[in-house]
Amino acid sequence: MKEIYFNADAGYLEGVVRGYRDGLITAPQYMNLTQCETMDDLKLQLATTDYAPFLQNEPSPISTSTLSARCTDALVAEFQYLQQNSAEPVSRFLEYITFGYMIDNVILLITGTLHERDTHDLLEKCHPLGFFDTMPALCVATNVQDLYNTVMVDSPLAGYFRECLSAEDLNELNIEIIRNTLYKAYLEDFYSYCQSCGEPTSSIMAELLKFESDRRTVNITINSFGTELSKDDRTKLYPRLGNMYPEAQIRLARADDMDQVKSILEQYGDYKRMILSANMNASSDSAGGSDMSLEDIFFANEVQLNKDAFEQQFHFGVFYSWLRLKEQEIRNIVWIAECISQQQKDKVNKYTPIY
Amino acid sequence: MPFTRGWGQTRSRPKTSIFRSEIMSLVQLYIPSDVARFTVSQLGEMGLLQFRDLNDDVSAFQRSFVNDVRRFDELERKLRYLRTQIERSDVDIYDFFNEEAVAASRGPRDIDDMEEKIGAHEDRVLRLTAAYKDLQLKHLELIENKHVLEEVSSLFVEISGRQQTAAAPASASGASGGGAHDSVPLLGRSDSLSRRSIGSLDAAYAGDAGGYDVEGGTMGGGHDINIGFITGVIRRDRVATLERVLWRSLRGNMFLNYVDIEEPISDPKHDEPVYKSAFIVFAHGESLRDRATKIAEALGATLYHVDRNAERRQEELIETMSRLDDLQQILENNNAARINELTNVSEQLNTWFTIVRKEKAIYHTLNLLNYDANRNCLIAEGWCATNDIPAIQSALHLATEDAGSNVPTVLHELRTTKEPPTFVRTNRFTDGFQNIVDAYGVPKAGEVNPGLFTCITFPFLFALMFGDLGHGFLMTICAALLCIYEKKLAWLAKDESLRMFYTGRYIVLLMGIFSMYTGLLYNDIFSRAMSMFSSGWQWPSDQGGEGVTVEATKLGHTYPVGIDPAWHHAGNSLLFTNSYKMKMSIVLGIIHMTLGICLQVPNALYFKKRINIVHVFVPQIIFLFSIFGYLVFAILFKWCTDWYARDAAGELTHISPPSLLNMLIYMFLSPGSVGESERMFRGQAALQTVLLLLALACVPWMLLVKPFILRREHQKIISEGYGRISSHVRVSSEDDAPGGAIIVSEQEEMQEDDFDFADIMINQTIHTIEFCLNSISNTASYLRLWALSLAHAQLSEVLWTMTFLPTLKMSGALQPIAIFCGFAVWFVLTFSILIGMEGLSAFLHALRLHWVEFNNKFYDGTGTKFEPFAFKTILDEAEE
Repeated sequence: MKEIYFNADAGYLEGVVRGYRDGLITAPQYMNLTQCETMDDLKLQLATTDYAPFLQNEPSPISTSTLSARCTDALVAEFQYLQQNSAEPVSRFLEYITFGYMIDNVILLITGTLHERDTHDLLEKCHPLGFFDTMPALCVATNVQDLYNTVMVDSPLAGYFRECLSAEDLNELNIEIIRNTLYKAYLEDFYSYCQSCGEPTSSIMAELLKFESDRRTVNITINSFGTELSKDDRTKLYPRLGNMYPEAQIRLARADDMDQVKSILEQYGDYKRMILSANMNASSDSAGGSDMSLEDIFFANEVQLNKDAFEQQFHFGVFYSWLRLKEQEIRNIVWIAECISQQQKDKVNKYTPIY
Repeated sequence: MPFTRGWGQTRSRPKTSIFRSEIMSLVQLYIPSDVARFTVSQLGEMGLLQFRDLNDDVSAFQRSFVNDVRRFDELERKLRYLRTQIERSDVDIYDFFNEEAVAASRGPRDIDDMEEKIGAHEDRVLRLTAAYKDLQLKHLELIENKHVLEEVSSLFVEISGRQQTAAAPASASGASGGGAHDSVPLLGRSDSLSRRSIGSLDAAYAGDAGGYDVEGGTMGGGHDINIGFITGVIRRDRVATLERVLWRSLRGNMFLNYVDIEEPISDPKHDEPVYKSAFIVFAHGESLRDRATKIAEALGATLYHVDRNAERRQEELIETMSRLDDLQQILENNNAARINELTNVSEQLNTWFTIVRKEKAIYHTLNLLNYDANRNCLIAEGWCATNDIPAIQSALHLATEDAGSNVPTVLHELRTTKEPPTFVRTNRFTDGFQNIVDAYGVPKAGEVNPGLFTCITFPFLFALMFGDLGHGFLMTICAALLCIYEKKLAWLAKDESLRMFYTGRYIVLLMGIFSMYTGLLYNDIFSRAMSMFSSGWQWPSDQGGEGVTVEATKLGHTYPVGIDPAWHHAGNSLLFTNSYKMKMSIVLGIIHMTLGICLQVPNALYFKKRINIVHVFVPQIIFLFSIFGYLVFAILFKWCTDWYARDAAGELTHISPPSLLNMLIYMFLSPGSVGESERMFRGQAALQTVLLLLALACVPWMLLVKPFILRREHQKIISEGYGRISSHVRVSSEDDAPGGAIIVSEQEEMQEDDFDFADIMINQTIHTIEFCLNSISNTASYLRLWALSLAHAQLSEVLWTMTFLPTLKMSGALQPIAIFCGFAVWFVLTFSILIGMEGLSAFLHALRLHWVEFNNKFYDGTGTKFEPFAFKTILDEAEE
């Protein structure tokens, strides 16, 4: 029954987002991009893509950071168009997507303040999608309690903050813990929200969010090696969902080095395949650490999952997937641009192809 | 088989007509590289040649002229920047257009000059704008400062005023009295002064005031326990956030008040002026103030120092004002200089834009050409109409002269098997009709172009559905105005919704004229009848009164043109017009389809496919004629016979008028016999049997003969030992080109399709079934002519009787007003519904009859449109 009414609320937006998806850079276009010799060539090539209107008024020697900023502008413009034209329940879903960016912004601001950076510079660096009213005031927070009471309490993230309040003051470790706790709470909340959306949104988003959760779990594990984080605390940071929840998470919590992580991952069909190819990459390309390739492999897998989300209709997952794909595309462009501007053409092909 | 053309034909210029597309030539140009730019520019002005991309495999940034393209991209960017600056400063862009500079060919030096000028202008505008922004920023600061001083002062004046009275005995320091003293005046003030302060905050402040007292007490009520404050300006929509965050972060130990600044302030950071508010925050203690400062700054506020002392403030205000005045002066001067600069630019802007776009297009085109380094020349290939070759050649001469070179550009034709693009030379009038055809499909080169016939059949079929003299007249007037003032109204073409009417103005004109004609035939003017001649019927003079049926008597003569007006109010008028229009639709439909089928003949002759005449056209026409041709014959026969004629004895000579529908049905159901009620003439049964057999015989003929003939021919070729030739059919130009040219383009393999009997058979089966079924369904489809014209007539009749007629029957003083209103309603509805909407629907149906019923009889429409390189199209596109 839901499908009948789907188009009334979200049909237009779905059409738009599928159009955006078709605007993603394709393999032959990537070929052209990677062949560019200078940044100007790259700009010329991008003039045939959806980024053209955002780049055409930039004076010609264009820097990588400007390129990245303009590309993000393009993404933000498209997302905001979706948001402006959305009504319940899509608008709620889109809002949920922005929460992730808000968490990143909050962490960025706290970290920056901790290192006494200029607030305005920090605000410039914040992702526009994760902006909220009271966000700039974060810069005065000196402890967690303060942070919550002053700023977070009426932000959409307030609910996620509950578990963070135990932390005493803001130092590097605590900030990381806050980030991961927030993200954990966010993922769990988003997951349960998606489950309430009904089929097929629930199953498609479950797939995507479970993957995201697994990736975070693995990242937390790897990043906690050699830090003061106790293994119990580590467990607390794992999102309570995902393909590896709960069984593998318990084992990951006890892992001490990369090899153990890999051996745990290898017990899952999908991840085993990932690890295998990651190993191959690591051996063939000794310069990039095995960590790096694991991340790349996660990216590649994510791209595949997000592409799959477009195979079905009448669900909200396309919005999430499109955003993820577009982000990946911007990462790719920036990677290629970096390679070109730093004359590292041999590494230029290490982007994650999408279509 | 694609159309091929002999070499010798070039010299005799083929005739141009809209019946077939132009004969095209693939030409090759050898352009010495120093005249290349001039040549392409000339060709772009003429717009006669469509360049082929000879560097398909080279990506965009590896082509030879990519740097030039980039250079003009950069120039265009600069011009765009200048234009936005001009638009933002409300300078009018002169519509002035330096035709001479745009049209004349430009040397490289002119371009360099222009580039330099644009660069200089951009530089200056950039600098001026930067300076302007700088000044604006200072200006903004001063303005904000002024507002803060003004607004906050008023607050202070009263506070200090009360403090003076309250605190004077206790302390010499006016501003820093005891906490208790401070809180009282503040509280007292809060109602009257804080015009927009949030009530709850006041309450909160009141609650906090107690805490403040205690604290103040512990500090001993010394001088330094002052209520420190910060003042500043913030965007109005952020005030609430600021208030909330501050309150929360200082745990309520603060008091914020703000005043909206009435006029918007132009902030150079934003494009548009923003509304701001001045605020003052009271907080005590250094650390809290610091926090408040940090928060306010983070939220985008600008803080200004305001002195406690009223006199000092006054001084400051005066000083600010005077500085503001000075700055205003400077700002105005700067702005004047900037406007002046921009005005200078605006005079040239359009010209420059045009030149830059043209140059960019030139280099884009040059990128399509092949560069021959040895001979230092560029080789271009492209399609053009054979008729235009002399014009192109003269353009080439002109370009060579312009460049001052004595090495001429060489043009020669290539022989090719490639399918040329289709170029139908149209004029203002035929353009609209050709668009209708192109929307369905662009004709293949050499194919019969239905556009020619559409020019007349389209408005005619439309008019059959829209037959009303009055409506047609109004439509004609509107269209005629569009046509007469077409130059003045050319701007209509830029508007998306009006463009349709503008580009189709000649279609509408013809539709209107034809509608007037059919309206005359239907004898309809705004649903009324016209009695231009004396009617052939006479009503009895003594009317029987209400409810009595009277019968008109026939006079000796027939009404000369169209339908007799007597029918208009006859009780059986619908019965009559229905049967009349239905038969008319069938007759015209069959004629229209016959024309379509017949057009296969010129196609077959042109493509030299005799087989298509003998085994496709002939059986098709026989099939159609033996069934529906006979129907048409019967219709005409029935019309021509007087079914109520009596012989000398007074007996009816005929039994009754036959039912043609039944006749056609029983022709299939019981061949060989004709029922009593369907009998029309002697030998009818035999004729019908013969026709039926003919039609049946045509089906296998259409189905089988052509494929088998094709197979036999194919086998003959094979048996004679000619295998498939699939090597490169290279079109060498060595013999023709002077000096032995290099072969630039490898022609693609000749598209000799494999012979697959099964495919052909299936194709033929589909075509045969389609044709047989379609001949029935399409004939029925023409009945829409009747249906729509009936609907149109009835609708206008209803409109007349419902809106205007009652007012005519009224009596009394109100009648003139009623007539006035009634006419207004009637006319508006006539125009919007009957002409607008009904016209649109009749248009759509006429379109369908052409696209489906007519075109599918003969038209492939698989060509590609000829798109010559022309500056005009490029500039038009850039405008949009």
